[in-house]
Amino acid sequence: MKTRNQIKAVVAVSLSLFAFAAAAQQAPQGDPKEAQKKIAMCEGCHGIAGYKTAYPVVYHVPKLGGQTATYLVNALNAYKQGQRSHPSMRGIAASLSDKDIADLAAYYSTATGEGHKK
Amino acid sequence: MRVLLLGLTLLLFQGVSFAGDPAKGRAISEKGVAGAPPCATCHGVDGAKPVAPENPILAGQYEDYIVRALMDYKSGKRVNAVMKAIVDPMKRKDIEDVAAWFARQKSTLHFQR
Repeated sequence: MKTRNQIKAVVAVSLSLFAFAAAAQQAPQGDPKEAQKKIAMCEGCHGIAGYKTAYPVVYHVPKLGGQTATYLVNALNAYKQGQRSHPSMRGIAASLSDKDIADLAAYYSTATGEGHKK
Repeated sequence: MRVLLLGLTLLLFQGVSFAGDPAKGRAISEKGVAGAPPCATCHGVDGAKPVAPENPILAGQYEDYIVRALMDYKSGKRVNAVMKAIVDPMKRKDIEDVAAWFARQKSTLHFQR
């Protein structure tokens, strides 16, 4: 059991690294300034301190400021491709191009505080 | 009446604060559960400095969001083979403990307008 979990995780890590390396080659460069025109759709939930999701499952929407850009890109793509299931995030992510995703990830990952706007 | 009672029960459950123990969470972060690789291997012991950029920063993230994310990996609602293998042997209490630990650590992660 112990070894099986280890093997499963190691295999999964290797596979995901491989997938990541393949995806990284074609990802567009993100621009935080470009994201200024695009964050309106994020702000309604992520831009309100302490904001929580709606019934039936209630929890705080995650903090995005200072998160790694790669993780944010992967998260949005996961919603887009159906690997993550939050309904509003799936809807929003589906409307984003690869460039939009890169810009938003650049904006949030380089953000330094509440009033950060460049 | 029954619907009202059901609604009230649900509200009560959602109002209950998480009983995670940060000290136990730290131990899980360093040692893992049932042989699965510990959180620290990829996210760093305090979750502030992931070893690779595809691993999210966990330090300072909302506790209930971390619980939600891990429970979603467990149920398969959120698809990630690495996290699924790691979360599978974890009990709900283990998940609440690691969430309590990471949520209380400091990092660059912050609320951003």
